[in-house]
Amino acid sequence: MTSLTPPATPPAVEVIGMTKRFGDLRALDDVSLTLAPGSFHAILGQNGAGKSTLVKCIMGYHRPDAGRLLVDGHEHVVVNPRQAHALGFGMVYQHFTLVPSMSAAENLILGRADLPAVIRWAEERARLEAFQRRMPFTLDLDRPVAGLAAGQKQKLEILKQLFLGRRVLILDEPTSVLTPDEADQVLGILRELTAENRLSVLIITHKFREALAFAREVTVLRAGRRVGGGPVAGLSRPDLVRMMIGSAALAEPATRAARPGGAVALELETLTVRNDKGLLAVRDASGVVRAGEIVGVAGVSGNGQRELVEVLAGQREPESGAIRVRGEAYRRTRTDMRRHGVFVLTEEPLHNSCVRGMSVAENLAFRTFDEPANTRGGWLVSRRALRRQARSLIDAYGIRTQGPDTRLEALSGGNVQRTVLARELSGDVAVLIAQNPCAGLDVAATAEIRNRIMAARNAGAAVLLLSEDLDELLELADRIVVMFEGRFVYETPRDGADLHTIGHHMASHP
Amino acid sequence: MTELGWAGVLVAVAGGAVRVSTPYLFVSLGETLTEKSGRVNLGLEGTLVLGAMSAYGVAHLSGSPWLGVLVAGVAGAGFGLGHGAVCGLARVNDVAMGIALFLLGTGLAFYLGKPFIEPVAPRLPHLAFGAWSASPQVRAALDVSPLFVAGAVLAPVLRWALGNTKWGLVVRTVGDNSDAAKALGWPVSLVRTLATVAGGFLAGVGGSFLSLQYPGTWNEALSSGQGLMAIALVIFARWDPMACFYASLLFGGATALGPALQSVGVTTNYYLYGAAPYVLTLGLLVYSSSTRHTLVGAPSELTISR
Amino acid sequence: MTIRSSVETAAISTAAVLVALLLFGGFAAARGLDPLEVYRVLYVGAFGTWFAVQNTLTQAAPLMLTALCTAVPARAGLLVIGGEGALVIGGLATVLAGVPLAGAPAPLGIALLCAAGAVAGGLWVGAAGALRHWRGVNETISTLLLNYIAIAVLNHLITGPIRDFAQVLKPASWSLGEHLRIGDVPGTSVHWGLAFGVAACALLWVLMRRTTFGFAVDILGGNVRAARMAGLPVGAMVLVACFLGGAAAGLAGAVEVVAVHGFASSSLVVGYGYAGILVAFLARQNPLAIVFVSVLLGGISASGGLLQRRFGLPDAATLVLRGLLFVAVLASTTLYGRLRVFRRP
Repeated sequence: MTSLTPPATPPAVEVIGMTKRFGDLRALDDVSLTLAPGSFHAILGQNGAGKSTLVKCIMGYHRPDAGRLLVDGHEHVVVNPRQAHALGFGMVYQHFTLVPSMSAAENLILGRADLPAVIRWAEERARLEAFQRRMPFTLDLDRPVAGLAAGQKQKLEILKQLFLGRRVLILDEPTSVLTPDEADQVLGILRELTAENRLSVLIITHKFREALAFAREVTVLRAGRRVGGGPVAGLSRPDLVRMMIGSAALAEPATRAARPGGAVALELETLTVRNDKGLLAVRDASGVVRAGEIVGVAGVSGNGQRELVEVLAGQREPESGAIRVRGEAYRRTRTDMRRHGVFVLTEEPLHNSCVRGMSVAENLAFRTFDEPANTRGGWLVSRRALRRQARSLIDAYGIRTQGPDTRLEALSGGNVQRTVLARELSGDVAVLIAQNPCAGLDVAATAEIRNRIMAARNAGAAVLLLSEDLDELLELADRIVVMFEGRFVYETPRDGADLHTIGHHMASHP
Repeated sequence: MTELGWAGVLVAVAGGAVRVSTPYLFVSLGETLTEKSGRVNLGLEGTLVLGAMSAYGVAHLSGSPWLGVLVAGVAGAGFGLGHGAVCGLARVNDVAMGIALFLLGTGLAFYLGKPFIEPVAPRLPHLAFGAWSASPQVRAALDVSPLFVAGAVLAPVLRWALGNTKWGLVVRTVGDNSDAAKALGWPVSLVRTLATVAGGFLAGVGGSFLSLQYPGTWNEALSSGQGLMAIALVIFARWDPMACFYASLLFGGATALGPALQSVGVTTNYYLYGAAPYVLTLGLLVYSSSTRHTLVGAPSELTISR
Repeated sequence: MTIRSSVETAAISTAAVLVALLLFGGFAAARGLDPLEVYRVLYVGAFGTWFAVQNTLTQAAPLMLTALCTAVPARAGLLVIGGEGALVIGGLATVLAGVPLAGAPAPLGIALLCAAGAVAGGLWVGAAGALRHWRGVNETISTLLLNYIAIAVLNHLITGPIRDFAQVLKPASWSLGEHLRIGDVPGTSVHWGLAFGVAACALLWVLMRRTTFGFAVDILGGNVRAARMAGLPVGAMVLVACFLGGAAAGLAGAVEVVAVHGFASSSLVVGYGYAGILVAFLARQNPLAIVFVSVLLGGISASGGLLQRRFGLPDAATLVLRGLLFVAVLASTTLYGRLRVFRRP
């Protein structure tokens, strides 16, 4: 199909009146946008605004209910990604679609539509190297992708699209796993390529900074509709915020009660942990969290945060080192969790801390089903007591569900997270460990969850908050430490915390 | 044999390694291909038995053992297609489905194979690599099954193909990162189904070896877990076709231990030596597995290695 | 479990059974038989006469116990198919325990024999649970291998160390004393194993569905990471679940020895373990449902003889029907939650 030499310049793309319904929900409602050759266009919007639906309709993953796609003035009906590829459209995802066990070279040639039945590696290598010389950056082609850093992986994704002759690049939150420096580098490369008219870029983001600094046009979506946009030059950050949020009232930012320094509640001493591959993920991590304090851990995803949380949550065995809670060795058993009031808010709760096939009431009872109030005779579970407990928590935490007996998987992401919040925060919390607690949630749910974490801190809980969202850390944390390659490499109090210094340490530049 | 004494046991085990290893080899190569695509087929034990039966029946009816081999492969491919199609449905457990096909395959083979227990079918010929020699012992030792040779060639070919052909890359991508495959517009479910069909074909051919070459007869006790052990062997071989080849020889030797000891007059613990390959398999599984980290070489989409 | 989901389960399972029966009818038609006539004989052979019903119940008894061997670990998220091996090991342990217990008074002796079988079966499958927990060995493959190993151990013992040379038909172990045997339920030809099976299912239903242990096992089976986060003793629970399952199958072996054969021989290896896996899946791992599904599957086994006599179908016909049932039941799992009728309004 694309065995002919692809055109050197990107085509003009027009999307007209794109509409997509899922059941009764209008996920996308009459959205239009134009992509002139060499443009750099950002789509802004909250979760659920229809950003992903729009690009999936363009790429042929969804079949739109209405709408037209014009490429260089000709209408095309795209019903699968291969057709989009043939038109020169390529997509880069938030999570890498590289094959980890393969080398960069193998990954690069994978997508060729004219991949020969037998691959002559010598020829392919020569071609790849010639191609790399024309690019603004180079990568080691022989390394397995599993061994590349996140920024290099994202560059490889972009390299792959260019190598495949894609001239319109659609990127879905491409910087969410990168350090600020890496993100600037990757976006800078894209900007350079668009300026040279070698590429058009359509980028989905929720980061105003990136949209304002790199894009030339924006489109803002809310609830499936285009609510504004235009050349970036005429727009300011407050404009964009207003368009994205609309008239919805936001919870007030969390208020921080002034507290004297409390006693040490959680203490890590030279904690070392291995990951699934058997490699060291956390190395000699030491530190304390005091009662009534939020310690924020900043870092790019994959620097040991997940393994650290898993060890504290009891899901992984540490290699060496010690964990102490309120001065005593912490064994991560049910007894110890209860005695010391240790609770955990994980990311991806359906994967990490809930059972999707069990009811809301049951999921709410994971920590309490064997307490005297919920049992008869100490060993029979009282379903009635569980339902009663669930009803009061559903009310208190505003969980939107048909009832306590609804299966958890029927709830929306925000309500699943509220269920976990209700379970983990309704007890007597002395230590709270939270990882990306607001990832994937809309602005209202995010504000509410941040408020509850702050309330726990104000009530005297020691909070260890690991987050990839620096804004979240700057809002909530009393102290921020940076985690890089499994070590705590930098620490700063809240006052005087500087975004750029933190960012540099996240990329290990001291 | 008895005159050679214990040396004879070694000779018999080595000879057995070549002779008995063929079904292990075919099933493990087939399962490697299937698992490389991210799916497990525990039903290959049933496919093996079904292949043995259909090969024998067709060879008996047609007089052509090679037609029997082909039909065995086709029957295996058909079972692979069934497994692939059903596992492609949402929420169907491929491990449990494998067990179901294991039971259905053996049941079908016994049901359809009842009339073929008595009659005689023509066997596959041997390749007489020892024809140059005057010594009958050497000749006997170098009489090798053409299927063994085919399997020995197939192993490096499969290994090469996984790294150097389009289909190899497609299968590995689907098995290692199905999201990547979807992003490239490849039909994940179809690729897995085809890999399962191919795996089933190979297992069916492996079954034909049992009934048409060694032991060279059809009865309901023909296979006792070879197909299953071959699947475990894939884990031990870390999904590498050449390692499958060497491991198959090892298993062939272990299976030949009981008969070899019997041939020198050690009959007392015959059944215990018969358990050797199972115990060996379990031991190797314990050795190769780990709770601490994922297995090296395991396709990451595989349900069984998570 | 809500009423709606119970109805959904019943409807989908019934549909799966009907599809399997249709396919089986196709096999019969391929032989030139009238499928309707085959179905009728299938029914008559299973439930048509009092004799047939008794035969069916006798077949159902071991199935209830071996099904528990799959169903109980399944609730903890494990796919154990070691019922066949645990039954054999349970039977062997019963015969061996008969030696020191030869002089024991009947009720105590029989209880201890059954306990020996259950404990041996429990340890057998418990070993697979231990390998799973501490070495990460896949429990499905290890329990299948343990089946073959158990059969090899059985063959080794009954052809050598514990062989009774008075048994001439086939190799068999020595027999238990007559006073250590239990007979049939009075007025029937159904042995007491049926009562053991029903009691075990009821007991395990209470344990798995009503107690804090069962609740904890459900969390583990649903998401092991959630279970660890709740501080539950995952390793101990895996071991207990595997032990209980193995003990049920071991008890089945003990019952076969104490109530049916009186000795251990290859008669223990007749596929009760494998049929039990199907029962467990058809019952969706619910111990109470296992009682009824066992009777259904026992009926299929019981009518095998009649099918053979009436139509000349090989005895493996029942294996084919079971295999088709298993495939249909697994394929039907894709329907859950997809049928509009059962969706919440």
